[in-house]
Amino acid sequence: MLDPNLMEQTHVEARGMPPIQFMLPPELEARAPAELRGARRDDVRLMVLPRFAGEPIHTRFDALGDFLRAGDLLVVNDSRTLPGLLRARDELCQAVEVRLAHRRADDLWDVLLLNGRTHIGRVGMRLTFAQGLRATILARRPDLPFLWRMQFETCCADLLDKIYRIGEPVRYSYVPEPLPLDLYQTVYAGQPGSVEMPSAGRPLTWELLLKLKKRGIGFASLSLHTGLSSTRDDVIDAQHPNYDEEFGIPEETARAVNVVRKRGGRVIAVGTTVVRALETAARADGTVAAQQGWTRLRIKPESVLRAVDGLLTGLHEPQASHLDLLSAFVEPKRLQEAYQECIARGYLWHEFGDMNLII
Amino acid sequence: MRNALPLTKIMFSLREQVALITGASRGLGRALAVEFARQGASLVINSRVNSVEALRETEALVRALNAPVLSVVADVSDRADVERLTGEALARFGRVDVLVNNASALGPTPMPFLADTSIEEFKDVLRTNVTGPFMLTRALVGQMLARGNGSIINVSSDAGAVGYPTWGAYGVSKAALDHLTRVWAAELEGTGVRINSVDPGDMDTAMKRASEPDGDASQWAKPETVTQVFVYLASKESAEINGKRFLAQNFAIA
Repeated sequence: MLDPNLMEQTHVEARGMPPIQFMLPPELEARAPAELRGARRDDVRLMVLPRFAGEPIHTRFDALGDFLRAGDLLVVNDSRTLPGLLRARDELCQAVEVRLAHRRADDLWDVLLLNGRTHIGRVGMRLTFAQGLRATILARRPDLPFLWRMQFETCCADLLDKIYRIGEPVRYSYVPEPLPLDLYQTVYAGQPGSVEMPSAGRPLTWELLLKLKKRGIGFASLSLHTGLSSTRDDVIDAQHPNYDEEFGIPEETARAVNVVRKRGGRVIAVGTTVVRALETAARADGTVAAQQGWTRLRIKPESVLRAVDGLLTGLHEPQASHLDLLSAFVEPKRLQEAYQECIARGYLWHEFGDMNLII
Repeated sequence: MRNALPLTKIMFSLREQVALITGASRGLGRALAVEFARQGASLVINSRVNSVEALRETEALVRALNAPVLSVVADVSDRADVERLTGEALARFGRVDVLVNNASALGPTPMPFLADTSIEEFKDVLRTNVTGPFMLTRALVGQMLARGNGSIINVSSDAGAVGYPTWGAYGVSKAALDHLTRVWAAELEGTGVRINSVDPGDMDTAMKRASEPDGDASQWAKPETVTQVFVYLASKESAEINGKRFLAQNFAIA
């Protein structure tokens, strides 16, 4: 049982406007990537939602370039997805599902401990994994009490090797079968660190990116290592816990953003993670500075976006905190109407689903 | 037609370069690891689990040259292993600038006629020699394209160009690898990422001795003597070279 006093700290402030609400029919949950139905990775649909006025346009994802201009800049999150779901046994040989959330040090992770969908865990709990890997639960996170700090007895490259060998990608019930980890990578993925795929960039192909480059549309990358999108507890998830996530913006990306803004081009974030990172690093004038660190920035409907002009993203679940972030780009009422249109047209949701460009 | 390059004896620096070499436990892979380390590269070296002791020896040789090195035991024909190798390499060094697809399978020895080759053996050779390099290149080329530079080197063989009896599965795989190189090269043209193949020629390696037990090893080159073209292709000096097939022993474009 979670301590209600500790839970209090994760409550979201009243937001002053009604949340976007809709029912997502189960048949609109993408169960697998396009490639597994024999299609190209970019064979998904795209809804283009004008940011300030106008009706949504419904098209195919590979038409993305039709809505971009020379001088625009796409900024992607190049964090590579790790196999963040590990199976262990406790001292009594009980099965424990460990979901990695955030890497804190070479041998330390914040983790979610589950038995089915039930949260478990206690200080001192000792866990044994395959490959001779062992770990101990050190403490509960005071600010996010459903997460535990776990210390592995192995560290660094050896720990990463074992995580790769025993882990599988974090998945939710709408993905019925475990899928190979490479299906959870974007085509530009670099250093690993995300426990869930930065999925907005998943349909991007190099064929398209190189074509856009020839047309004068820039490409830059940053890293934000994603945490878990769900705690598997609907009550906690509805409170939108505010995770801290590690990010890094390289010099050349900061420079590219600043040049594009100065020349009047648009900075288009590929994914909510990119918005979070760039807005964390944004100065009042909208320029950004290269930096590395952790962000807890929560972008709300009333937030003023300084560095980012547009957003390429997936379709998000009802109540998801991502919808708050989207509402900073587009009026919630128009977003809600656009989402209803997507449902009526049979768009697919989640990480392997269809896409939305807000611009 | 062969164009000799006027570069044979020049040393090319690999300082600041991160290179991943598959099949680095022995033979050409080990020689490349040592030479790349000597030229200043940081290294990810790889072999399959049955060569792990030999891989550790390569690692020791590279360490002795003060090169940062990560050893990853992985089978390049295995999809999950390719992702693990890629992830561990990128986690350690942040990027991979040079990929040498050197790991290769010969199939059973003495090598059989195609008519006597089992379907499993044929598929195994193609999986290691063609699908493996495809998967690993695919996994690493994206971060090269994102930076706008990188070099991929596929290790080929004249068995891919000439139909020698008993070299069926291996020869087919090397012909396919050469064509993989050509298509990649066409797609990568102008991106700053280049891909080339190198036929190292007859070398005195364990693989060569297994394939030709009655051959005259004294006629075969030592792997250490054919590394120059690889260093050249890994270096920034070859930034404009894409889609070419090199003969290592006289450093010429085939």
